Amino acid sequence: MIELDDRLRAIRDASRQLAEDLRGRALAIDADPDAMEEHLNSDVFELFRITETPAEFREALPAGLKLPRGAAMEERGNCLTNAVSLIEAARGDLATVLACPAPGLPGVVVEVLGDHRQREVFFRALHGGRTWPFFAMTEPAHGSDAGAMETRFEPDGAGGWLLFGSKRFIGNAARGGVGVVFGRTGRSAMSIRAALVQLPAPGWSGVRLDTVGLRGAYLSELVFEGVPVPGEMMLGGHLPVAQRGLWGALKTFNQVRLRVAAGAVGTALAMVDYVAEHRKTAPGLDVAVARAEAAREALYEAAARLDRKPDRAYWSSAVKLAAVEMGVSTGRWAARVMGPGGLLEHPLLEKWTRDVCAFEFMDGTSNMQRLHVERGYQTGDADG
Amino acid sequence: MSISTLPQTGMAECERIGREAGVAAGLAAALSGISVPDSAPGRYAAVPMESPDEGAAVLHHRLAAAEGVVFLECPGQGPDSGPAWAEAGRLLAAVRLGVLRRALDQAVEHLSGRQSGGEPLIRKQLITGSIADVMAGTEMLRAYAQTQGGQAALADIHTRLDVLGWEVLKLFGAAGYLSDGPGRALYVSTLAAGTWVPREEVPE
Repeated sequence: MIELDDRLRAIRDASRQLAEDLRGRALAIDADPDAMEEHLNSDVFELFRITETPAEFREALPAGLKLPRGAAMEERGNCLTNAVSLIEAARGDLATVLACPAPGLPGVVVEVLGDHRQREVFFRALHGGRTWPFFAMTEPAHGSDAGAMETRFEPDGAGGWLLFGSKRFIGNAARGGVGVVFGRTGRSAMSIRAALVQLPAPGWSGVRLDTVGLRGAYLSELVFEGVPVPGEMMLGGHLPVAQRGLWGALKTFNQVRLRVAAGAVGTALAMVDYVAEHRKTAPGLDVAVARAEAAREALYEAAARLDRKPDRAYWSSAVKLAAVEMGVSTGRWAARVMGPGGLLEHPLLEKWTRDVCAFEFMDGTSNMQRLHVERGYQTGDADG
Repeated sequence: MSISTLPQTGMAECERIGREAGVAAGLAAALSGISVPDSAPGRYAAVPMESPDEGAAVLHHRLAAAEGVVFLECPGQGPDSGPAWAEAGRLLAAVRLGVLRRALDQAVEHLSGRQSGGEPLIRKQLITGSIADVMAGTEMLRAYAQTQGGQAALADIHTRLDVLGWEVLKLFGAAGYLSDGPGRALYVSTLAAGTWVPREEVPE
């Protein structure tokens, strides 16, 4: 079991202080994910963006805005720190967190694959809090099967590239902004590369996909028809060949998976909190709380292990697989114990029962995680 | 306890309507002949969009409205209000079986057109296992709904249907999460059943 030290407890408590604000925005964003004006530059969005930005590219906090009590500006990259913080934020409302124009997952990839100039372009583009980042991997025909990727970069004859292809289920991408797009420069697995792309751009189109839940994520479909990408925006050129593209980004996918699991755990905790507040005598409440808290502990453990061995998929996959099933079943339990029609009387809870289903489909379905878990078991990662 | 009080043809018809015409048409069949305000156990009852009288207080839900379903405000008779909601609940179980089967058919079609590692997804063992589990669960629940009419059994049947619906939804991958896709009917059928069948005490 992971014992949180003073620093991690302070991070957890600071995130908890933001949860109520996130919750207060949740239903409005669910109803209309395009109506973001009232949320942009709010204190909570400013804090998320600025604290997630690496120190060298970080804006000063706006006058009058203070960090939550006990919080400090952290450097990024530690999975356990991120897990502790994200679970508490998701306990507020994860869709609202995902609607916030903060570095998030694209920022993780840019930090791993980007050189100094590319990181500067990406993080400075987010200054001001009105530009969203995105991370474009999944394709319409092949899901997250990177080996079958069809999106391609073709040389433009002048040292740059032209981007062709389409991506689907990409968070915030149709809002425009700056993001990472994966595509092929050739046929081998080594030729799957990532570029920093700023939108809108000639040859680009994007639409929001209307989803059942987690609508703040603004999942989008993108089409690229010869979008120009300057040569210096191809990520990873300064890295050894084997680490320039997909292979270099692989270890970040384990982090991504753990963040998705944190979303499931945090949303489950939000639902049990809600039921405990509104129906104190709900049958099964003790068990629902115990299961969600146990999942949180398992996630802490997986995060600590990932910090030690970033390229091992076993723990993040095992925890994602279990956390999603726990989260979805917690939603079904919450719907039952609130009584007939109870979800309609409690729209925030109803929203979370929809939201929690999204985590099944993000960064690999449960069947994909099963394959990773079985492989990790066979190779000894479960015992290592 | 076997207390079948409904003709099985009625249940078969509701399942057929659910499969062929969807949630709202199935709901209309399941609720025909009963007084919704006098039967509904909770403060809201799922009904077909066209059924409430003009001026009746209804709650609209984005996904339910797209399926042709609204929620009628009701006095809320409570779970002990007797057999009225139980009869509707049994027929609604049949409707949900039809909706589930329709979604499974769509999932199989979806999976047949997608490949991973050069092989159709429909041939992957994890997928075929899921499909088999859903069909086995469907057969069991049909017999369950036809032969067991007690309120506890009915609550269990609908809880099993919730779980089975989730298993079908997962087969679509992220496409199952689109508001204009088959996931919507599964979600709305679950939400509708939640207004008609009390099940606070049912564990999974």
